[in-house]
Amino acid sequence: MTTILETQDLGYSYGDGTVALQGVNIRLEEGKKVALVGPNGAGKSTLMLMFNGILQPKSGSVLFRGQPLNYDATSLRSIRRAVGMVFQNSDDQLFAPTVYQDVAFGPSNLGYPAEKVKRYVTYALAYVGLSGYEPRPPHHLSGGEKKRVAIAGILAMEPEVMILDEPTSNLDPATSEEIMEMLEELNLGGKTLIISTHDVDLAYRWADEVILMKDGGVLRRGSGPEVFGDQELIREARLKLPIVVDLYHELAGRGLVDGPKPPRNILELCDTLEQGCKGRAPSHSAADSIRPGKICICNVDELKAPQIPSILERISPSYKGAMGTSAKVMAEEAGIALDFTYGVIDKCILKSLVGKSSLIMTSGGMVDHAANRIMDYCRESGAVIEVVRLSTGSELTCKRIP
Amino acid sequence: MHDLLDDYAQSNALRDTNPRLKLALGLGAIIFCVSSVSPVAPLFVAVSMGLITVILAKIPARFYSKLLLIPVSFAVLSTVVVAFMHGTGTVLFSVDVFGFDLAVREDGANLALLLISRTIGGMCSLFFIALTTPMIEIFAVLKTLHIPDSVIELSMMIYRYIFVFLDQAAMIHSAQVMRLGDTGLKNSLNAFAMLSSVLFLRSWEQGERLIVAMDARCYSGRLDLTDQAAKAEPRAILAAAAYLAAVAAIAVLTRNIQML
Repeated sequence: MTTILETQDLGYSYGDGTVALQGVNIRLEEGKKVALVGPNGAGKSTLMLMFNGILQPKSGSVLFRGQPLNYDATSLRSIRRAVGMVFQNSDDQLFAPTVYQDVAFGPSNLGYPAEKVKRYVTYALAYVGLSGYEPRPPHHLSGGEKKRVAIAGILAMEPEVMILDEPTSNLDPATSEEIMEMLEELNLGGKTLIISTHDVDLAYRWADEVILMKDGGVLRRGSGPEVFGDQELIREARLKLPIVVDLYHELAGRGLVDGPKPPRNILELCDTLEQGCKGRAPSHSAADSIRPGKICICNVDELKAPQIPSILERISPSYKGAMGTSAKVMAEEAGIALDFTYGVIDKCILKSLVGKSSLIMTSGGMVDHAANRIMDYCRESGAVIEVVRLSTGSELTCKRIP
Repeated sequence: MHDLLDDYAQSNALRDTNPRLKLALGLGAIIFCVSSVSPVAPLFVAVSMGLITVILAKIPARFYSKLLLIPVSFAVLSTVVVAFMHGTGTVLFSVDVFGFDLAVREDGANLALLLISRTIGGMCSLFFIALTTPMIEIFAVLKTLHIPDSVIELSMMIYRYIFVFLDQAAMIHSAQVMRLGDTGLKNSLNAFAMLSSVLFLRSWEQGERLIVAMDARCYSGRLDLTDQAAKAEPRAILAAAAYLAAVAAIAVLTRNIQML
């Protein structure tokens, strides 16, 4: 793993003498999903503004790919291109009068010719699922759409690292899950992501690395279970435990479950609980007698929307889910009511375990990602789930993934 | 929440007509209105522009008439003063106010009529532009007319943030009303003063955040303006030219006609 961003003994204080950051030493690896968590005023936003040179540190330094940042105009341009930032309030970021102009702002300031700018804008808007929104003014968009446009504006500059300050604040739960899933998709495409959030459940579930901050310093760095496993620390940082962890501790307290570390998500929690129950309760739980349901994965890149109803007819899944923007757009075109639009893989595994079949529509690299995720689960838990990858040529063929 | 001109500009039936043509039509009509010496041509413009806006652009007639009521009420008030204060000729109407003899004379009445018809004709033409052409397309036209970039960019950002501040002002106002800030003249004046000062401070802060947002995306003095407008159809150009010629002809032919 190569280090992409690093801070060395970073310090910053505002004009009135308030110390915002002090002695911050962190090292972020390329291709990771990082969440900065901490109470209000912990210095998360200040730290983020330093990653792309908007604030200049009072002491210490920020390193990008091992090189300390320089604060002259040329170096700043290159760092801001490589490290893109999405602000918390979309209205701060969307200053141009139309969606097209706003997304085109970055590329045209990088001096690209008009034709290239147009290509990048079209690509970025398609990626966030807003093709056709080009002539709209931002004040006619919903909160979620504004956030997507803001992300598209950064994507159009092809950054290596994307920083998002509270990406889910002021969004409804489904929209924020969809935004987070889009970030997951970007991460699978190789981008390093850094978010700040107060949503501990989100940070716990989503992030590869959690950085817990308080009073301008870093309290703890590590994986979600490492950081959130320490109840003292979490209380000190004025956060709360993720609901999964909290529930796990209470269940463990009653002796219903045991294990070295808390589960990552609801799926793991259910499994831990089931294992705990099996030892005690007589085995009449539904899951034992039921054969796990089949999970089909279809790649929408190989399909056209009108083909989807016939596929559905053929495999008639109990549940339908779509992962990623292009799959969702296609499901909408085909007029399919989706049961899952986020957390799709885990949901489908959970349903499979109670005997229901499901279809996952997705695209590109996420097809393999989904299949691998289910296979990994089977390997760890010992469950046997049939995964079918649908490929369409002239007719539908089914391939069993080994 | 709002019923804005801008919403109609984005969604009217003439939205996709070439903006240059719409601008030329509206501005041409305004010029003929203000240079006509008889009220006939401006009244013709007022009626025809109103019909174009309501029938061709499909702007709801109720909204349009409410909108027109604003400038018309101003115009009526001021022309009444002109009618009383101006001119010579036969007395058409007189009234005795506390011993002062206030009279409307022929000249004054004619001038007042001309003024009001010019105002209404001009406003109808202006509303035609405002209700059919989104601001952003007007900016694109301005750019091709070689207006300096900095002027256009500033106007674009001012335009964009009008809506942000409109929302904020509405929110502050609701917050004041919720705590009874609008009871009595003294309270509402006080509340309005607070609203203005807070809005000023917020716009200042917004300006600072705007600079950060632009810097973060490598601002180097370029705000793209692609002219995505459709080409004007020859038929539409001919129709607009014929209309303007008709207005000009009416203005010339009726130059000696006085209404009274």
